[in-house]
Amino acid sequence: MNEVELAIIGAGPGALAAASEAVSHGIEVAIFDDNAMPGGQYFRRFPSTFQQFIKTKLDHDKKDKAIADNLFSVTTHPKVRYLSDTVVWGLFDKKLLAYARGKDSGHIHAENIIIATGAYDRCIPFPGWTLPGVMTAGGVQNLIKSQRIIPGKKVLVAGNGPMLIAAAYTLHKAGVNVLEVLEASTSRLNRKMRILPDLLMNPSLLYKGLAYRATLMKAGIPVRSGQTVLEASGGDRVEEVITIPIETTGKVDHSRSRRIIVDTLIVGFGLNSSIEMTKLIGCMHTWDSIQGTFKPIRSADFETTVPGVFAVGDCTGIRGVDIAMIEGRLAGLIIAMRMGRISSNEAEKIILPLRSKLLRLNSLHQKMDHLFEPPTNFLSLVTDDTLICRCEEVTAGQLRQLLRKGIFDMNRLKSLSRIGMGHCQGRNCFGTFAAIVAQELNCKPDDLTLPRVRQPLKPIYVGDLLHEDLPPYELPELKESNLLPTRWQNQ
Amino acid sequence: MNTNNFSRVNEGLDRGEAFEFLFDGKPVKAYPGETIAAALMSDGQCRLGTTEKMGNPRGFYCGMGICWACRMIVDGQPNVRSCNMLASPGMRVETQRGLGSEVKL
Repeated sequence: MNEVELAIIGAGPGALAAASEAVSHGIEVAIFDDNAMPGGQYFRRFPSTFQQFIKTKLDHDKKDKAIADNLFSVTTHPKVRYLSDTVVWGLFDKKLLAYARGKDSGHIHAENIIIATGAYDRCIPFPGWTLPGVMTAGGVQNLIKSQRIIPGKKVLVAGNGPMLIAAAYTLHKAGVNVLEVLEASTSRLNRKMRILPDLLMNPSLLYKGLAYRATLMKAGIPVRSGQTVLEASGGDRVEEVITIPIETTGKVDHSRSRRIIVDTLIVGFGLNSSIEMTKLIGCMHTWDSIQGTFKPIRSADFETTVPGVFAVGDCTGIRGVDIAMIEGRLAGLIIAMRMGRISSNEAEKIILPLRSKLLRLNSLHQKMDHLFEPPTNFLSLVTDDTLICRCEEVTAGQLRQLLRKGIFDMNRLKSLSRIGMGHCQGRNCFGTFAAIVAQELNCKPDDLTLPRVRQPLKPIYVGDLLHEDLPPYELPELKESNLLPTRWQNQ
Repeated sequence: MNTNNFSRVNEGLDRGEAFEFLFDGKPVKAYPGETIAAALMSDGQCRLGTTEKMGNPRGFYCGMGICWACRMIVDGQPNVRSCNMLASPGMRVETQRGLGSEVKL
C-alpha cells in the first residue's frame, strides 16, 4: 500500500515552506503540483532552457530569488517525492489521495495532508469578457514571468483590489504599452489614513504602493478611480472596449462612457481562494464578506474541521506570499511536533516569534482589505445576454429565468442550467452564480448552499485511471435477455 | 485578424535554437521551454479554440491551468491545456471545438 507521512497539495510558497520545515524534522513528504515547475504563481520563473546572461528588471529582486531558490531545493531532497504535472483529482475517506499523471497515476494514503492550493483570479463578467485577448492579471503576469512574452501595442488594465496597481506597474515595467488603468473603487483618504500606522510598520509595503502609482503617473498612464469596463467587443479577439463610471452600489453613468481601441484587456478584480480540495474532503467553510470569498474554517494550528487535514496560504483567504510562507512553516512544525519529531519546548521557541509576526501581518492585510470595502457591486454590468458560465455557455438571462420560475436550490439550478458543469468545474462562475442568486433572493452569499464539489476536481483522462494496477476481472457474459429489464423481455 | 502583438522580451536572454510545430497545418516557430499558447500568441494567434454551442472564439485567460479556455488538440489528443503544455518539434496542434469529441452528446 502506498503511504506517506505528509502529503502536500500545491507547490507555491506556502506548500514549499511547509515541506522544508517538515523534512527538516525527518518527516517523509510527497508534494503534488499541477504545474511543471515549483513556485506556484508568485515564484513562477522561466524554464531552464532559457539561458540568462544579464539580469533584467523583469527578474525577481535578489532577496526574492534567494527565498525561491531555497524553497525550490526541497523538491530534490531525498525524503521528498515531488510530483510535477500531477493533478490531484480526488480525496477520499481516511485521507486517501488520488492523482493523475498518465501511466504513473495512482493513489496514496497520507497520515497528514496540507492543502496549499492558493487562489485564482475572480471573474467579473461583462459583455465580451470571453473574447481572446481578454485575460486575467494573474494570467498575463504568469506569461511574463514564465515565458518572457508581453502583450501588445494597446493594453487596457481594468479591475479592483489591492493588487491591481501592482499588476499595472509590472506590465509597464516589462515594456507593455499600458493605455490606462481603470480602478473600480474610490477609496477615500480617511480610510487610507486609518491604516497608516500599520503601513509605517511595514515601510516596504507603503513605499511600494505609492511608488507604483507615481511611476505610472510619471509615465503618462492615467489611473482612473471609479471606472470599469462596460463592454468588450471584437471578432476573433478584443478590438474595442467601452469604459464607464461606476459607483459602489453598481450604479453606472452611461452618459460618460468612453470608447477605447485596444488589442488586449487585462482584468484584475482580485482573487478567490481555491477551496475545491477543502470542500471535497468535507471541511467546513465560512464566508469572508470583505474579500468576497469562502474559506475553510481552521483551528489556531491551521487544521481544518477534518482531523489531520491542514490548510495554509491563499486558499484560506487572500493574504499574500509572506503569510503563506509563515503559515506553511508553522503547519510543518506543528505536524512534526504531533508526530514526536520535535519536543514542544523546542518547537515553541520557533513558533512564538513566527506567530507574533503572523499576527502583525494579518492585521495589516485586514486593514488593507477594508480600503476596498464595501466591494463594488458589478452585477449591474451583467446583462441577460452576458455569459456567466464560460465553459457551458450559460447566460445570466438563462439563470434569472430559472430563478423566476421559483427554482432556488443551487444544486438544482446547476443541473438545469449546466452552470459549473464544464471544464473549470465552477471556478470561473460559482462566484457570479452565487451573487446573482443572492441578489434575486435578497440574501447573502453565505446564506446559500453552494453546489457540491465532486471528483474529479479537474478533467482527467480515462487513461489516467486505467494505468493504475487494477486486479484482473472478467466481463460477464452478455446475452440479449440480460440487456432488458425482465418485464420487457417477452414483448 | 493576425496582428503580431504579443512579443518576446529577449533582453538578457538566449532562448536557444528555434524549432517549428504545426498549428492547424501551418508551421509556427517556438523555442525550447515555451508553451504552445505562448508560442502561438507570439505568432499573433490569440484565438485558440471555439465553443461548443455558439461557435465563439476562445483564448488564453487564466494563465494557471484552471479555466481550460486554452484547450487544444495536441497530436490527436483533445483537452490539452496549451498554457501548460510545452511545444515540441513537429507537434501537431489544432483548434478544438467545445469538448473535442466528434460525437455530438
